[in-house]
Formats: sequence, C-alpha cells, structure tokens
Amino acid sequence: MTDTAVLLQQVINGLSLGAMYALLALGFTLVYGILELINFAHFNVFMVASFIGMWALEFLGVSGQSEVLTGMALFGTLAFAFAVTMLAAGVIGVAIERIALRPLRGVGGTAAMITTIGVSYILFNIILLTVGASSQNFPNPLPVVRWEIAGAVLQLREVLIWGITLALMLGLHLFVSRTRLGKAMRATAQDAEAARMMGVDVDRVIVTAFFLGSALAGAAALIFGLYYNFTSFIIGYTAGLRAFTAAVLGGIGSVTGAMVGGVLIGLIESLGGHFLAVRWADVIIFSILVLVLVFAPTGLFGRAAATRS
Amino acid sequence: MIGGSFSWIRRASPLAGIAPQLRSRIIVTTIFALAILFPIVHRNDADIDAVANALTYAALALGLNIVVGLAGLLDLGYAAFFAIGAYTYGVAASWQVTPEWTGFWETFEWLGMVARFHETTGDVVHFQVSFWLMMPVAAALTAFFGLLFGAPTLRLKGDYLAIVTLGFGEIVPIVVRNTPSVTNGAMGLNGVMAPQLFGWSFGVDATPYYYVGLALVAFLILTSQRLKFSRIGRAWMAIREDEVAAAAMGVNRVKLKLLAFATGAAFAGATGTLFVAKLQTATPDMFGFPVSVMILVMVVFGGIGSVWGVVLGAMLLQILQSWFLIDLSQWLHALGRLVGVEWLQRIELASSIELIFGLILVTMMLYRREGLIPATRRVAALSLEEQNAPVTRGGFDSLQGLGALDAAVDQPGAAPLLQIDNLTVRFGGLVALRSVTLSVPAHSVVAVIGPNGSGKSTLFNAVTGLVPANEGSVRFAGVEIVGKPPHVVLERGIARTFQNIRLFPNLTVLENVLIGMHARLHTGALGALLRLPVTHREEAAAKARAFEILSVFGNRLLPRADHVVSSLSYANRRRVEIARALASDPKILLLDEPTAGMNPAETLELAEQIKGLNRLGLTIILIEHKLAVVVNLADKVIVLDHGEKIAEGSPAEIRRDEEVIRAYLGRSAAIA
Repeated sequence: MTDTAVLLQQVINGLSLGAMYALLALGFTLVYGILELINFAHFNVFMVASFIGMWALEFLGVSGQSEVLTGMALFGTLAFAFAVTMLAAGVIGVAIERIALRPLRGVGGTAAMITTIGVSYILFNIILLTVGASSQNFPNPLPVVRWEIAGAVLQLREVLIWGITLALMLGLHLFVSRTRLGKAMRATAQDAEAARMMGVDVDRVIVTAFFLGSALAGAAALIFGLYYNFTSFIIGYTAGLRAFTAAVLGGIGSVTGAMVGGVLIGLIESLGGHFLAVRWADVIIFSILVLVLVFAPTGLFGRAAATRS
Repeated sequence: MIGGSFSWIRRASPLAGIAPQLRSRIIVTTIFALAILFPIVHRNDADIDAVANALTYAALALGLNIVVGLAGLLDLGYAAFFAIGAYTYGVAASWQVTPEWTGFWETFEWLGMVARFHETTGDVVHFQVSFWLMMPVAAALTAFFGLLFGAPTLRLKGDYLAIVTLGFGEIVPIVVRNTPSVTNGAMGLNGVMAPQLFGWSFGVDATPYYYVGLALVAFLILTSQRLKFSRIGRAWMAIREDEVAAAAMGVNRVKLKLLAFATGAAFAGATGTLFVAKLQTATPDMFGFPVSVMILVMVVFGGIGSVWGVVLGAMLLQILQSWFLIDLSQWLHALGRLVGVEWLQRIELASSIELIFGLILVTMMLYRREGLIPATRRVAALSLEEQNAPVTRGGFDSLQGLGALDAAVDQPGAAPLLQIDNLTVRFGGLVALRSVTLSVPAHSVVAVIGPNGSGKSTLFNAVTGLVPANEGSVRFAGVEIVGKPPHVVLERGIARTFQNIRLFPNLTVLENVLIGMHARLHTGALGALLRLPVTHREEAAAKARAFEILSVFGNRLLPRADHVVSSLSYANRRRVEIARALASDPKILLLDEPTAGMNPAETLELAEQIKGLNRLGLTIILIEHKLAVVVNLADKVIVLDHGEKIAEGSPAEIRRDEEVIRAYLGRSAAIA
C-alpha cells in the first residue's frame, strides 16, 4: 500500500471508530447537560448492551461470521437487533436513574458520581460472573462487500455504520429541536429551577435523557460488535473513557460537540496509533483529555463548566 | 490526642462514666495492644500475612481520606501514587537497572547504597538502597509528583478532577508497562530486596512486615488526626464544604489543595515501598483503576473524612476478602447440598468481590452516606429548658480594639479607609457596575441600597476579589486591592458575609468561627503534625477568642458551639456568619443583607449589635433593604440602580431624593 492509501485507510477506520465514540459520547453529554453529573454507569451500560445485541442476533439464528444475509433478511435482522438493543439499554439507563440516582437528587458533592461508579461495577461484575471472562464471538450477518478507493479498502460494514450513526444523530437532533419534550430538555439544561417553575416535569426530562443516552450507547454497542466481531466484559472501560474524552473535547453538554469530538477521537486513535505506536494510543488520548480540561475547559462547542464551582 | 471520634461507642458502653478524652485513650491503647499481640498469640503465617496486607490498604485509605474526605477532591487515580512509591523502591533495590560501574559510584558503595558486581562483560552497579531510607524518599518523590500533577488540574471542578485523575491513573501503569528497560514492563520487577534491620533480613516471613505496617498505620492515623484537628485540616474541610466561602474567609485554595494532594500522595508513596518490599515484585496490573476504586470503596464504607472509619473500612473489606468469603462460599455450598439446590453449590463469593464493592458503594450512598463511623459526631439537641431560656445579649467588652487601624491611616485628614474609584464590572454584555465611585471613612457605617439587580452584591464581590473588576480601582488604607485574590483581601482586613448565607454546613459553629481566623493563625502542616507547645498555645488562644466572639450574641450561639451549622435556625446562621467574619479581625466588615429573613424583634437586636460593633471602632458597609435599619445605622447611604450610583448622602437626604424615589417606586410616585 502506498502512503496515501495507508492514510486513507486509517481515516476510514477512524471515522468508523469515531461514529461509535460519538454515539457513546452523546449519552455522557445528555446527562451532564441536565444533571451536571458524570455518569460512570454509562461505560458499562454500553458493555451490557453489546451482550444484549449479541443475544438478539443469536436469537434470530445468526451465529459467527460465516452466515451472510442479504436484502430484506439483512435489513430485518439488523432493524430487530438495533431496536431490541437500544430499547433494552434505554430501559437499563432509566432503571439506574430511578433506583440509584433519583433518591440522591439534591444531595450535593460527589455522592451521585460515586453511586454511578458503584452501578458501573455492579453491571461489570454481573456480566463477568454470568458470562465469564473469555471474549465472545460476535455474530455478524453482513456480507463482505469491498470497494477499492485509491488503494484503500472501504467495506459495506463501514458505510452501514456511518449511515446508521448519521440517521440516529439526525433523529436526536430533530427530537431535541422540534418536539415539546426536546424543548423541555433544552430548557432544563439551561436552568432546571426555572424550567420546573414554568411547568416542565424535570423528572420526566431526566428520565428521557437517560433513556436516549443509554439507547444511543446500545446502538454504539452493536456497532462495536459488528466492527470488531467480538465482545467482552472489559470493553466498557476503554471505549467509555475515549467517548468521555470525545464529549469533553467537543464541549460537554453540547450535542454537536459530542458528535464532532467523537469523530476527532476516532481519527486520533487510528492515525495516532498508526503513526506513533498503538501501545501509546491511550496515553495520547488521556493527555488530550487532561490538556483540554486544563487549558480549554469549554471544549470546542461547550459552555464554561469545568471550573465553575 | 489520637482519639476524639469515639462518641459512637458512648451509648450502652461500660466506659460510659469516664471522661471522653481518657475513654478514647483507653480504647486506642487497647486496640494497639491487641494488634501488637496478634502475631504472637495467633502464629498463623497466612493470617498474619492477610492482616499485614489489610494494614497496607488501611494506610492507602488514610491517604485517600486526606484528599477525598478532608479536602473533598475526588481522586480516582490514587493507585498511581501507590505505583510511583512502589516502583521507586523497587528500582532502587533490585537488579532491574544495572548501569556500568564507574568511579562515580564509589561514594555510594561506601554508603552501602550500591554494590559492585562482576559480570563477564564488565563490572555493573547493583542498587541496594536501604528500605528505611527509601520509604521517606519515595514519600517525598510521590508528593512531588502529586504537586506536579495537581498544579494545573486542581482548579477544575470536582467531577472533572475525578476524570482527570482517572486519566492520570491510567497513564502511569501504561508508562510503566511501556518502559521495560526501567520497570521490566508487564513482566514485573523481580528480586526486590527485602528490608534489613541491623543486618537481619525480613525475608518472606509475614510477621516483620505486619509490624512495619502496623507502625506505618499508627503513624498515619496520628498524622491524619493531628492535621484534621488543626488550622490546616479546618481549611481543607472549608474547601470541601464551600470553596468560594473558604477563599473569602482567607483560605488560599490553591496552596491548600496542593498540600492535600501532596500529603495524600506521600501516604501512598510510603505505603508503596512497604507493599513492594513485602511482595518483592511489582507489576503494572497491581496499580490500575480497580485498585483506585477499591481504596475509594474502603473510604466510603468506613466514613468519608473519618480517620478511624477509613481504617476500619479498609481492614474489614480486606479481611472479608481474604478470610470470610471462602468460608462463606463453603457454607453456601453445604447449604446447597443440604437443600439440594444446585446453583448454591457453585457460588464463589471470592470472585464476586468487585460486585460486592459495587453494591457497597451504591448502598452506602443511598442509605448511609456518613459510613460506618461518621466523621462528625452528633451532639444532642439542646434541652427544652435551654431552648426556651430567655434571650440574653452579650457585651462587646471582650472585643475591644476591633477595627483599630494603624496610626498612619487613622488620623484626621487621612484618606478614606476604603476608596472605590470608577469601578466597572461586566458580565459579557451586561454591565453590572458602571463606574461606581464611593469613599468609606474610617469608623463609619455606609449603607448601600438599591432595587434588586442593581449591582449591590456585585460591588461586594468586586471589592473582595470574588469577581474580577474590568476597570477602576479599590484602595484600602491607600493600597490598591483590585486584582488581589479573595484570601489576600481578607488578610488585608476586609471580611464579608453573603446574601444567601455561605457557611460550611457540615462543620460546627465553633469550627466555622475558627476558619474565620485562618488568616490570623500561623500553624502549618509541620506545626500541626509536631504539635509543639507554641501550636498548642495558638490553638487554645484561638478557641478562647472564638468563644469571646460568639458571646457577642449572648446565649444565641454559645450553647450551640458544638452543633453543626446546618442544624441551626436561619437567624442563628446569619449570626454565625457575622461571627465568622469578625473572627478574621477585620478593619472593614461587609454585611450583605444581614437582617434578611429575620423577624422585627431579631432585626432590632441585630441592628443594635451592628451599632455596638461600630462603636468599638469597626468600619462597616451594609447592604440592606429595611429602611428603618438603614436610617438607624448609617452615617452615609449610597443608592445603586442598574449598576450606577444615582445618589449619595445622609439617610435624611436620600429619603427626599427624587431619583431614589423614582428608582424604587416608579415615575408616577416621584411626580406625585
């Protein structure tokens, strides 16, 4: 492969990773925008969702990577898998909010964040104890369709990931900007107290944010499985931290920021990993996280929040 | 004076009749006597080893407690400091790094830190620095890393700090893994030297490590307690409770946060040396995120901020892990066989320890946030009799000299004590203060009035350094103070209260007032740790002074000195805030709506007290809505409207001023 081909290939890979991180980052940003809470449980909602996605595909009889579907069968299978995974992940998110976080509403300090760490640990260990530590083969019904572009390979898988991500983001954008509940959400993010006084049911807004964020994490989890062809109990931590970095880079609380930040982190991971060394990729990403927070806490599109006390 | 927080034993205890201090001493002595006897009596190496490990984690929990519990900085990468300590000793006492022998090393050979080792390719250096030397060295080095890392990040808000520390906690093990030439990478250090004492090597027997661990924990408990109940500890807790109020009361936030971070890191560094010496190896996996979370779980379980609590939490969880989970699993298996339930026979609790950690975190946060041993002890409510006691007013005799000024500043014809010129504050496009000019003569009372949103509180915030001024100058006793951070402004002699009361809610009345004295006391971290006679005297004098100040409010606050302020009535909280400001021995007192929310009788009482303070010589600037209070107290009134000064004069003049009437009551009222 020529240098440009390698570069192009890394960009293609980076965009796919970025799509996944962006979807996951949206969950952090939606919850943070409203509750000013960093939700560590989100890491492992994503991980649990990947298993739900795997089981949904297996339920439809897809196993391994050799069984290829086409046409309506493929469309139906994917639609079912995405619907089930996103719904289940959303329900998990809502359950976390209702059981563990709502009682702590109004309790200041770090209590809520410590709780989300606890919930994250619980989810993590439920999967570890029931499924086991070995990584699972993720069923993938996508046919291998490849296009060569200037020496780089573009697969159907990539195009599909981009398409689904764009559709979900467009949907989220329309929801937030066009619907009544979306308007309530934006109002609550600006000033929860004022929104409550204007008759906004803030609890409902919070539940919606958790549902949407977790459902998008569900979509990201399926994309992870279809991209890497495996899942395991440990995937939440690394992917979650990278997605969080994406949210911070874009400006936490900003939906656009999460999308742009996700793509940037995906590109940084694939290009940085390629041109430097894969084993330093995480150091690069964490350094970006620290540098952005310290020197430009508003990120690319965010409101000043990091140093506000 | 290690104890002090054993009141949880009070109820139904055989020690109930004994004075609290003696009681704590008896309990502490008993605990340590039992701990010292344990290896002699028990003689089971595996069990001693388990407790020794538990002691290691107790030491770590104590360190994290300084950072999270006292200073309120959530550190999710604490294990990174543990790693730095461990690898510092690990590299300095193993075969990991063996540079070529040169003359340079001869001094160190003579000191016993290195040995010359013959290899076929030539002589190399073998590091064998003493464990006892390395423990303080590693602690100091780790504290340095704490400073290095804390300096740019500690201004971040709590939850962001958590994420940044998490990132740091990830980076350190990755760096360790990726630099095998120094650390042997993922394989781990091997052959780390065991500590030696007078030529006798500790070897692999658990007992000597147990005693070193016990001594370390005892030392760290002592350090934590002494810091906690000192000027330093109070400042940390003030930052935890309300950073802005802490700064306004004279606490240098940056310095004290860094101190907390460095102290916590030093604890982890010292513990790291013991850990690696005991294991005689270290791999990057021993210091990852799960370890940081485990230490956090111990702190949360035991009681955030509670020194004895976190030790108990760490010991319980570690011992649970190494002793009981296996037994418990076997009992469940037996039960399963008995009742014929198959899945009960397969449960392995030991492997679900992290699930248990997660459950502990969530359960504690939801149902018992204060942990096993709460950090603040509860004081019994006042008796009905005490509550209904007739209100007495205190005198001001004890506060003679309050507000006194240097002779150079305080003479007829001198410049005003506070001179504000053309002060302008903008928030984005909004001009909150527009070119305000105001002079406050020494020993006067100046009232600032104006409709809501007219910029009164912004004026106070700009003077005290809480919001930056865009233009203009504020001179205090002739010296420019614009641009000075809040704690410096307080040090110079300007103290304030807040419109929406910003006390330190989970601290007692006495502690709140003592924090007000922060800038006037001198005890540093070392002083607090050594607790020399001079520190003792300063602390005793500070407490006596605090009671004098509280006595200004008669029996309103004195009987409640040990109550946490969140349990006080609204009016009493306002009084505590004034007492806290007075504690800083101010030259000027800024009161932001001091009588808000008080009934007429209480308002009158407070107005008289303010007058009394002014009579002592204290200069006062007052924001107030109740005109009766303003007329009664003020020598001069200024009126703000939309950020501009629209009138200035005596109370009588202001009452007639048409601009003022228009601003308050509208145009038609002014015409009529």
